[in-house]
Formats: sequence, structure tokens, C-alpha cells
Amino acid sequence: MTTPLLEIKDLHARVEDKEIIKGLNLTINAGEVHAIMGPNGAGKSSLSYVLSGKDGYKVTSGSVKFKGQDLLTMTTEERARNGLFLSMQYPIEIPGVVVSNFLKQSLNSILKHRGEKELDTIEFMKLLRQKASQLNISSEMLKRFVNVGFSGGEKKRFETLQMALLKPDFCILDEIDSGLDIDALKTVSEGVNSLRTPDNAFLVITHYQRLLDHIKPDVVHIFADGHIIKSGNKTLATELEKSGYTDFLKEE
Amino acid sequence: MQHLPLVHDINLFLDDKPSVYGLRQKAKQALEKTNYPTLKTEAWKYTNIKPILSGDFIYNTEEHQCSDNCCHHDENNNKIEVTFCDGKLHIEEYNLPKGLYIKSLPEILYEGECKQYLFNSFNLEEHPFAALNGVYLEQGICIYAEKETQINEPIYIKYKQTKSQNSLINIHNLIILEKDAHLEIFEQAYSDQNNKYLTNIVNEIYLKPNSQLNHYKKQTESISGYHITLNSIKLQSNAAYKQYYMANGAKICRQETNIQLEQKGASAEVYSVYMAKKDCLNDITTNINHLQPETYSNQYAKAVLETNSSSAFQGKIHIAPQAIKTEGHQLHKALYLNDNAELNCKPKLEIFADDVKCSHGASCGEIDKEQLFYLTSRGIEKEDAIKMLTQAHLDEIISLIPNDEVKKEFSF
Repeated sequence: MTTPLLEIKDLHARVEDKEIIKGLNLTINAGEVHAIMGPNGAGKSSLSYVLSGKDGYKVTSGSVKFKGQDLLTMTTEERARNGLFLSMQYPIEIPGVVVSNFLKQSLNSILKHRGEKELDTIEFMKLLRQKASQLNISSEMLKRFVNVGFSGGEKKRFETLQMALLKPDFCILDEIDSGLDIDALKTVSEGVNSLRTPDNAFLVITHYQRLLDHIKPDVVHIFADGHIIKSGNKTLATELEKSGYTDFLKEE
Repeated sequence: MQHLPLVHDINLFLDDKPSVYGLRQKAKQALEKTNYPTLKTEAWKYTNIKPILSGDFIYNTEEHQCSDNCCHHDENNNKIEVTFCDGKLHIEEYNLPKGLYIKSLPEILYEGECKQYLFNSFNLEEHPFAALNGVYLEQGICIYAEKETQINEPIYIKYKQTKSQNSLINIHNLIILEKDAHLEIFEQAYSDQNNKYLTNIVNEIYLKPNSQLNHYKKQTESISGYHITLNSIKLQSNAAYKQYYMANGAKICRQETNIQLEQKGASAEVYSVYMAKKDCLNDITTNINHLQPETYSNQYAKAVLETNSSSAFQGKIHIAPQAIKTEGHQLHKALYLNDNAELNCKPKLEIFADDVKCSHGASCGEIDKEQLFYLTSRGIEKEDAIKMLTQAHLDEIISLIPNDEVKKEFSF
């Protein structure tokens, strides 16, 4: 039996005094796309922060194994180097840090960890320009400060560019559809789909079934009150879209 | 007669020349009269200089001897460069561009030229360390630009410490720009080891109508060394002075800049970036006098405060009654790495005219945790991420530097 890429068992976590994850079980294998849907405030974004090890998100019990290793003892940067990537709902603006410098430092720290050769500036810029053009990202944008003055669409394309460069094994896409118009949604979804391989996996967090028309999930989970209440195939998302969360949760 | 620290009875070059001896005596008398500042002295209230006064620093009267590599001048190096090695001017012949003259201070003192400019931009009794500098008046240079001389590369002035231990180093420079002259100077004060010394610099700068000076300075002294500078600048009509200052060293460092905007349309901009180091003190004091209408000034400093560091930022803007339609701004922004850092910001605005625009502000904050999370979530080591964020904080000012070569030197 192959080791699952991600294996979450009876996970409980809190922020300050508030319990936000309450007994979550989730197994994701390589090659799969899972979607998590749920109402506002259910703890979906919190789950993404718990998995990426953000300060203030404290695991109280349960376990998370990533490629067979204990994820919870790793620092945020170690998780990233081991192949975990969080595409944030609201990517952070960092005035003064230029996009290309940031990406070079990020890629090289990951290459170094993998034991691969780090790229010099010329090699890196060549790779960066190639990946950027595939996502309609102009070379002008690469000279700007990280996320500063980016439109909603630019921010999400920039997150996708990072995935294309860093080639993580497991990507959490936290509402990658928020702030996108239809064209941008298409570009970003195509970008994500082109990154799919039999060796990696995606966890797509969204409110809307619309995104799942573009990035097709193998499994859909309904997430409410800190845990998964129902899992199914893509039709679950369609049902949910029809009834709305309130009715759906009542029926459960 | 009380004993004054750091003042020793020694013979200096040209002591036999009454006019030179007279200047040194005048400085000594001023120091005797005022004595050194204490924490009760308003202008020095945040900077305790006791370690300097008890430092047993000695002025070395010997002439500088060039050893193997010290002062070595690369023949392929086309830069205009003046080096003070352990406080002693290293004399070299240069092919200077037309209209530019660089002379050693003794030459100036001997010939009596430019004498009208010595101790003429400030009052000795208000500046005890400048008075101390005058007691030992001997080392320094005079840079003189004839009218309309325009040179767009910096003149480097290097204060290099190699073997000095407990040295008292006094350097007095004169910089004079005639009408319409444009110049850039780049001072670099540094040591290649962890030695203890006191560097005490006075720059007197005179800018005639429509002249422009870009004044860069990089201070990376030994963290056992002490550094005190007084920049005293007088500007005539429509002259423009821009200072870009970086500090990343010295146990105690004070950079004081006094600016007299003496005629209409003169402007001064003072930009500073510094890293306040652990167990060190960094003091930036700026006084700007707007004496005539339509003058402009801007002070902007950004700092990163390490654990157990102390810093002071004092900025005074004085606007005389006749100086209408003037503008004076002042801002200090600091980033601290943890709670144990001390920063004293003291803005002082004295406005005696109507119809002026003035502002001042100070802010102090921690590293942004969200930004730090974003960087580390991309695999970047936490320490490197902090370095990126502190550099980004300082880069806002560094990016203002008009000369790319200098900009590259301003890295932490």
C-alpha cells in the first residue's frame, strides 16, 4: 500500500481560546484533487493556516502526516521546503521586496533542500520569464514589489506563478477564485490544471461550485463547525449549490 | 586650571605660525569655557559621552608612513579618492578635472587661502567636539569647485582605520562650491578590525548661488570605535544640499548636521538610514535654519533597532520671521526587532513666520507578522526573511539615492 500524501487524523486546533478545528479526518493521495466547501466561519482558512504552521494556530490533539512524516513538528519554512504550498486567499503585500528577488530566494531555498543545484540570476530570470509568460504575467510585474498594487486577478496569477516555479507536491488553494472575473478565473484554473501530475495533489477551498467546473475535484467535502460532515463526488457540490448551506446543514 | 579630557599639550605642525597657533588657541579657549556636554545639555540629553571622555585617546603626532598595502592606490582606478589612513592624510597626485582643486589642510593653513572659511559656519562655543577638533587643527582637506564646474561622479573621502588603538583622530574639511558648481562627495568611515579609537570630523560646507552638492556618507566603524561628526553647511540663493547617510557601526556615533538656509530659494534634504546595533548608541541630530523666504528642507530617517540598542533622532526646524513661503518636513520611522530597544525622537519646530508648511512625525513598529509568514511559507529561512523585511524598510530611503554606484554601497 502506498503512503498517502497527506493524512489527517482526529485533528483538534485552536486560536487563542477558541477551538476552530474539531476532530478532522482527511486523507489525500497523490494525483487527487479534493475540494472543501463550507459556510463562512466554518474554519476552512484556519485549516490552511494550521497545515502551513502559522503562528498562533495551536494543535491540541491529533496528527498530520505529510509524505509519511510528522508535519506538525516542522516550522513553516520546513513544510514549504518539503513540498507544501498555501495559495492564500489574501496574498500579503510586501513593500520594498521585489518580486523577482523574492522568488529567487524562495526557489533556491527549496532547491537547496531538495539537494538540487541553486540557480544563478541569469538561469533564474530565464526560467521566471518563461513561466510568467505562460500565465500572462508581464516582465514589468516581476520588477514590482510583492503584491503591492496588484489587482485581485494579478495576485492570484502571482500565487499560481509561485506554484509553477516551486513545484510543490501538495497545494492548498484557499479561495483562489475570490476577487477574480471570469477571464482571470479561466487563466488561473488553466494554470493550476497544467500543474497537475500523478505525483502531486490539491486541496481546493471554495464557496462556489463554479470554480469546480474549471478545476475538477475527485472528492468533495462539506466542512462545517470545524470538521467534515459529508464527503462525496462532484455532484455533492452541485447539490450544495442548489440548496444553499443553511438547508443543506439542516438536512444533515 | 582644570584638566580637559582629550586635550594634551603637544606640538603640532605649523604651531610656529601665529595665525595657525591662534586658531588652535581660540578653539581651546572655547572648549575650556564650555567644557564637554553632559546629559543636562539639551542638545546631548540622549547621548552619554562619558565612555569617550574616559577613553584615554591620544593624538598621534607622527606622520603617516605607508606600509605595504595601506594607502595602495590602484593605477587602474580612475576615481577621485582621498584617504586618511589611521587619521593621517595620504597625499597623492591626482589629475583633477578642470575647475576642481583638492588641497591638504596644512597647505591651506600655510598659504592663508580659504581661511575666511575656517570656523566660519558655526559657533565654537556651541560645539565642544568641533572645538576639540580645532585644538588639533592639522589633518583635513579643502575641496574647491570653481564656478560652473560640474562633476557627476563622487569624490571619495575615506577614513580608514587599520592599526590604530586608542587613537584620537581629528579631521577638518572645507568644501566650497562657487556659483553653479555641481559636486558629489562620498565619505566612508570604516575599520577592518575591532579596534577602539575616536574619529572626530568637522565638515564646513559653503554653497554659493545655484550650486548643488550631493553628500553621501557610509559609516561602518568598528563596534568598539567612536565616531562624532559635525556637518555645518551654509547655503546661498537657490543652492541645493542633499545628504544621504548610512550608519551601521561604532559603539557611540553622533552625526550632527547644521544647515543655514541663508538666502531665498535654498534647499536642504537630509536622508538617513541606520541599523542600531546591540549595546551601541546612534545619534542623528539635525538643525535647519530657514532664514529667508521660499526655502525648503526635508529630513527623513529610517532605522532598524536591534535588541539592546539605543538611538536618538533630534530634528530642529527654525523658521525666521521673514522666511515666508518656506517648507520644512521631518519624519522618522523605526522597525524594532524585539522589545528591548530604546529610541528617543525629539522633533522641535520653531516657527516665527506665517504662510509656511511644516510637518513632523515618528513611528515605531515591529516586523509585520503576516509578511514574515508569507515569506517563510515560501521556504525562506526565518532569519533571511527578517533580513529581507528590514532591508525593504530601509530601501525606501536608499532608493532615493541618485547615483547607482553609491546606492550599491548602501547595503546592510
